[in-house]
Amino acid sequence: MTEKPGQELLTVEIARPRPYRWSTGKYLGRLYKEAMENKRLVTNRCPKCKELLWPPQAVCGRCKVEAGEDWVAMSDKGTVIQYTYLVFPLWDPHYGEKLANPHPTATIKLDGGVYMVHFLEEKDPQKLKEGMRVQAVWKEKQEERGRGLGDILYFRTIEE
Amino acid sequence: MAQRVGIVAVAQTKYHPNRADANEGELAYEAIRQVLQETGLGFSDDGDGISSAVTCSQDFWDGRTISNLNVMSYVGAHLSHEDKVAEDGVNAVYTAMAQVLSGKHDIVLTVAHMKESQGDKSIIENAAFDPIFLRVLGLDFLTAAALQAQRYMHRYGITAEQCAKVAVKNRGNAKRNPYAQEPMDITVEDVLKSKMLASPIRQLDAKPVSDGACAMILASEEKAKKLTAKPVWILGVSNCYETHYLGDRDLADCNALVKAARKAYGMAGVSDPLKELDLAEVSEEYSYQELLWMEGLGLCGRGEGGKLIDSGVTQMGGQLPVNPSGGMLAGNPNGVAGMARVAECVLQLRNEAGDRQVPGARLALAHGVTGICGQLQAVMILGTS
Repeated sequence: MTEKPGQELLTVEIARPRPYRWSTGKYLGRLYKEAMENKRLVTNRCPKCKELLWPPQAVCGRCKVEAGEDWVAMSDKGTVIQYTYLVFPLWDPHYGEKLANPHPTATIKLDGGVYMVHFLEEKDPQKLKEGMRVQAVWKEKQEERGRGLGDILYFRTIEE
Repeated sequence: MAQRVGIVAVAQTKYHPNRADANEGELAYEAIRQVLQETGLGFSDDGDGISSAVTCSQDFWDGRTISNLNVMSYVGAHLSHEDKVAEDGVNAVYTAMAQVLSGKHDIVLTVAHMKESQGDKSIIENAAFDPIFLRVLGLDFLTAAALQAQRYMHRYGITAEQCAKVAVKNRGNAKRNPYAQEPMDITVEDVLKSKMLASPIRQLDAKPVSDGACAMILASEEKAKKLTAKPVWILGVSNCYETHYLGDRDLADCNALVKAARKAYGMAGVSDPLKELDLAEVSEEYSYQELLWMEGLGLCGRGEGGKLIDSGVTQMGGQLPVNPSGGMLAGNPNGVAGMARVAECVLQLRNEAGDRQVPGARLALAHGVTGICGQLQAVMILGTS
């Protein structure tokens, strides 16, 4: 075995998991609960600008006022604003694995007005376009839900 | 200083072992909301509102690479100015003060927030060590502090009983602090019988895991006088770092604190701190640290921290009450602790400290610390005039 120059320079790898337990808090928690139990998207409305906040939270960042408890249920249908077609797998932070068979990531303006970032079911680049109408496809089993945006598999193209 | 900077309002959450009911933003807002309501201030760039925020949190504890993310809306940072300070809360107050002194902002909000309950303390603290050389040893702040405690006690003959007296005093003081997490009626014997964590540090010698937030509003002298009848002035402030590698230090010394204190006293015109100060709030994550920090702060001679606690000087009613609030031992999160020390001094100087009030307090010292064995030391002198 021949010694190569620089062989003494080693690297140190620490792959230890660093677990966290984050609280959703009261506002985001309500969305998580509705999604888990009823496959429904809810959020609260700013009393000043009357816009829906997303995700739900205690204050309106734009108006810098307390948002309060004006809750509304939203349609899970929307329109694709922008998308990107992935050529490499994304990282799943919950399981520390690469997400196999990725779907295109997109910003979807829900009919309620908020901008959702999620996946599209459609993987054919020829069929992806701005303005596509889509609807959420939820995980069917309730025991698999409870992860917020993770309760939706992706958004499916719909004809209207 | 060219002009004075005043603290016009302070607020804290009650410190708690696990605030699972609130996320970081909601927790921080519990404190922020109080200072907004007290002052009637809102967020604006017109000179009459809060035009900047300084937040204090730590990415590794928070579990994301921008630990200020979750509080942005709550500090008015939407299309506005915000800076994050990632070490101790005293440094956040320092940064807010510097923003006012710069002339760019008249009124600045600062908030420190932390949920220690969300992560694994030992794993997170291990990440404070150099990843290539030291992390492999699995060191955390407790192990490092235990080395320091052992060295300090050995070099100066400080006893476990003297360290335990700090835990008894501070958890006892905490009974009069409505924000304290662990007010306790304990004896030296209770401390000495509590579970050994890393010798010589036992369970009751150590601070508990804690969630909480502290917020305050700083303003230029002119604005401060308009905003409150009882502004508290920052008279002196300094911070100083030690080297990271423990082998480069005699751990029975705290040279960074000596230097930070000397500079802060110099700015504030304090020449005999034990006589001139009315109280001190210091950050003691472990009981021995209060004794060692007393030495660093020049409140007693080197090696005399044990004698100082024996003398009763630092008790409530003593010549210089130390940690009337109960300090970190009574429960404060890392990062929040230093700002909580400043907030407690402000309450004392405003004569608003309730049952823990030091009568007639006019000059106070707040101390913050971060890192391994007190690597970063920060000292702030606050006064009523």
